[in-house]
Amino acid sequence: MVTEARRPPLPLLRNRPSFTTVGGLTLVALLIVWLIVNLVKTPSDFAEIFLIGLTTGCIYALVALGYTLVYGILQLINFAHGDVFMLGAMMSATVAASVFGLTSGQSGVVVWLAVFGTLIIAMAFCGTLNATIEFVAYRPLRNAPRLAPLITAIGVSFILQNVGLAWKGPNYIEVVDVLPKSQVFDIGGVTYTWNKLIVVLITVPVLILLVWLVERTRQGKAMRATAQDMDASAMMGINVNRTISFTFLIAGALAGAAGLLYALYVTNVRYDQGFQLGLIAFTAAVLGGVGNLPGAVLGAICIGLIQAFNEGLTWHAPGSDWTQSIVFAILILILVFRPEGLLGERTPEGG
Amino acid sequence: MAIRRRTGFLDPVRERVEVLERRVLGDDAGPVARRTFNRGLSAVIVGFLGMLILAPLYGFSVAAILAWLVFVVLYVPPWEVIPRVGRFVRPLLALSLAATYPFYALNMFTIPIFGAFPDVATGVKMLVFAMMAIGLNIVVGYAGLLDLGYVAFYAIGSYTVAWFASIQFAHQNIHFWPAGVPSSLPGIHISIWLLLALAGILTAIVGVIIGLPTLRLRGDYLAIVTLGFGEIMPQVARNGDDFFGTGFNLTNGPNGITPIDSPGFGSFTFLAGHGSFFTPDRLFFWTAILLVLFTVFCSLRLRDSRLGRAWIAIREDETAAAAMGVPLMRTKTWAYAAGAFFGGIAGGYYASFKSATFPGDFFFNISVLILCMVILGGMGNIWGVMVGALFLEYLDSEGLANTGAWLNSNLGLNIDVPKYEFGIFGLILVVVMLFRPQGLIPSARRKAEFEVGVHDEPLYNATHG
Amino acid sequence: MADLLRAELLRKEFGGLVAVDDVDFTIPTGTIVSLIGPNGAGKTTFFNMLTGVYKPTSGKIILHGEQVGGKPPHAITQRGVGRTFQNIRLFQTMTALENVLVGMHTQLKGGIVQSILKTPKIRREEREARVHARELLRFSGLGDVDEEEYARNLSYGDQRRLEVARALAIEPKLLLLDEPTAGMNPQETLEFTAFVAKLRADRELTILLIEHDMRVVMGISDRVTVFDYGEKIAEGTPAEIQKNERVIEAYLGSGATAA
Repeated sequence: MVTEARRPPLPLLRNRPSFTTVGGLTLVALLIVWLIVNLVKTPSDFAEIFLIGLTTGCIYALVALGYTLVYGILQLINFAHGDVFMLGAMMSATVAASVFGLTSGQSGVVVWLAVFGTLIIAMAFCGTLNATIEFVAYRPLRNAPRLAPLITAIGVSFILQNVGLAWKGPNYIEVVDVLPKSQVFDIGGVTYTWNKLIVVLITVPVLILLVWLVERTRQGKAMRATAQDMDASAMMGINVNRTISFTFLIAGALAGAAGLLYALYVTNVRYDQGFQLGLIAFTAAVLGGVGNLPGAVLGAICIGLIQAFNEGLTWHAPGSDWTQSIVFAILILILVFRPEGLLGERTPEGG
Repeated sequence: MAIRRRTGFLDPVRERVEVLERRVLGDDAGPVARRTFNRGLSAVIVGFLGMLILAPLYGFSVAAILAWLVFVVLYVPPWEVIPRVGRFVRPLLALSLAATYPFYALNMFTIPIFGAFPDVATGVKMLVFAMMAIGLNIVVGYAGLLDLGYVAFYAIGSYTVAWFASIQFAHQNIHFWPAGVPSSLPGIHISIWLLLALAGILTAIVGVIIGLPTLRLRGDYLAIVTLGFGEIMPQVARNGDDFFGTGFNLTNGPNGITPIDSPGFGSFTFLAGHGSFFTPDRLFFWTAILLVLFTVFCSLRLRDSRLGRAWIAIREDETAAAAMGVPLMRTKTWAYAAGAFFGGIAGGYYASFKSATFPGDFFFNISVLILCMVILGGMGNIWGVMVGALFLEYLDSEGLANTGAWLNSNLGLNIDVPKYEFGIFGLILVVVMLFRPQGLIPSARRKAEFEVGVHDEPLYNATHG
Repeated sequence: MADLLRAELLRKEFGGLVAVDDVDFTIPTGTIVSLIGPNGAGKTTFFNMLTGVYKPTSGKIILHGEQVGGKPPHAITQRGVGRTFQNIRLFQTMTALENVLVGMHTQLKGGIVQSILKTPKIRREEREARVHARELLRFSGLGDVDEEEYARNLSYGDQRRLEVARALAIEPKLLLLDEPTAGMNPQETLEFTAFVAKLRADRELTILLIEHDMRVVMGISDRVTVFDYGEKIAEGTPAEIQKNERVIEAYLGSGATAA
């Protein structure tokens, strides 16, 4: 009666190279050809644009990580995240100018201390704001149909935009210009300025801190457990509500850091910029694989580079008019053809 | 999951009402008598409160009393008990009230805070948005797919009408039954009536094209992808006057396409009207009512059909629906196409009414506005969605400005209220979702759903066909 | 007797985990076959492959001589496979009648345009569908239940019965029941067992049953298959299975700790 399993299994349902794979590879190949042609035509421009893309990519990474952390734990696209970032930028601008009294062009040690102080304040502000939003708008809906918190997230996003509008008005606000623009190096006409390097220098420690927090600490373990299985974690004695609040706090703090960097690097902010940048950062998170921390950083840098190449290169680049469309096209293509992202794995089957 | 009964501050009132009801009707009154009694009571209370507020402010208004009487006739008597014709009484009464609105709009009373009743041109906008909201309701309310890019369909409808009823393609000279367009005018000029049908069909086709790759995604991913399409659309419209330097002018860029032909017959156009009776606004208004009627009719028929049942089944439990032989992808795509169809017609009609279409009309805000209409009114219930749409579009075009003016003059503030329009709509979304997720006028079904929650585990591994 | 369904070397892996390990399995036409095994033995995964919810990693599923493995659920349903779910998955806020009508989805023809126009054909089709749905409700023992009641308001036993009525509405040749008696009291279980026997007799159905209650399994099955750790460890008549060493070991060995 006992039947032994026979081997080898018939590989009937193994994937053959499908239309999507071929199409995707063709697209990537064309992209590479385009990049190489540009590199050959204008090598020094190419290198500088690459460095610009890396810098914006860093800012995107900080925002994208917030999306990924929240999505990982609640499976919620926190549409309000970009607006938290925007308020963080506005807060940074205000604190830097009014509290620390920085003025454009100022330099010296006092600038560094002030920037550091502003960073702490912006991170604390955005973290608290984000955790409050979760408490007020998402927590009561935890057992509601999935669409309910998604809809409140959109609502909160609009509310925050209007808070920014009421606070700073409908126009761009100027931010003090304190990051030095002197050169770090100049190799064969390729210049790299300090303000770009500072963005990287602030981003990297924050990222390391985050990884340490998630991988090594108790709270981080609780976060990962809750992301895996909320009910089981609750049964194991993890305070799920506190863990979720903590996640929003961290995500908000990252957005605050991004806000500060954006404000100081770009030196202007407007109330509706958060939503747009948030969508770009979300695309980055999806590109890297939602829920995957290194993925979010990789995705963000890719998006930063794509944006910079599109806007900066001269040979057959669509130009800044189309940046938004290109980013969304990437988002759609990724979601449709590789929803697990570049680094993600397919979700284990549920249902 | 247990059904949580919320205790509210109105509970003592409710108890009193029940006691009163027993005293008047006796203990064994039927549900119809009880409902009529309750409705009569609330009508009296509304009338009394209304008078209390209105009379000292504006004096006695005949219009207000008449309006109250109409409300009583519409709301209180148990019309539905009349066999066969009973269920048509309320809709027909409401319809005739709406159709005659242009005649009494100017004689209506002033509502405190909100100000005067909307004028007829605003009425057209309200109806157009009602049509879009009912269309979106098919996607969100019936099939449970969150579409954040509905504005894309509105845009496609608008541009379809704009291309084929204006001088945009001036090197062409095609005329096909346009109303009141001299044959010497360059460009393509096709009858608006045909174009509305074309706009609906084209938009539905685009809906299918967008839907096929994306509808297999889980609900929240679908939301963000539709949002992406909604964001790409105005950018294409804005940059479409010179596609990547090819010189081809599709959309006339930020300047938009204007003027657009007006609907009409032969040499008679809506824009010119006819005498003091057929004013342009009235003509557009009545046509808009017909379009809304058409939308409501189709939407109701669809809800009660095989397809409508399949949509609701998918919303409730995808896996079970698929196991019952419902093809998920195809059925969802139909919902998408049907929703898009009405969005396209509404967009096309609106473009013809405004005689213009601009890229700036199609931002994400508008998608959220329409979504807000559906949610405020009550997902899944056509009447609720219609009320939500009429009210929010009224706020959008007149109400908020009036309210702001009232606030500023009476409270001594200086706030530009319409500037915060979308913050207010965002607040409405949050408040409705937190406190009354079924909306103001819920469908019985949706109400039940929000009380118990649903199985909402998506079907991961299946390739739905 | 021909086989209605045959699975050949069917395999499912999740990541590195083998949930179903190259299983050969047949269901002869007109029989009641039971699938048993300890928790986590891969029964439900196997079931989900047969119904198209999961795509097999490798292997074939042959229904009426046609390879259906990897086809989407609705396509398999359309070929005459009806199912119920382990945890009842009715359309909660649809009425009892509507639930059955959704089951008839593939038999009805109404498209979008006809539905809006409500052509005479559609009217007739809807009317007949309702008559048929009421018959099914009666047949499944829901004759006394208000057909306009929301599914979620029905009693537990009635919900189970409604799930079967809904599955019957697709006019299946093969009916898959996933732990249909879970949560039932002995009396209800007994009634349900009789009902399953009646299904085969009256409607000439072939039935595959996942079941934990051994009285049900041994009472009505023609054949029993035992899974453990994703492998088929035994197959035979109820009497043979009861004596099988490996089965007893599997149940006492892993079953004791898992329970």
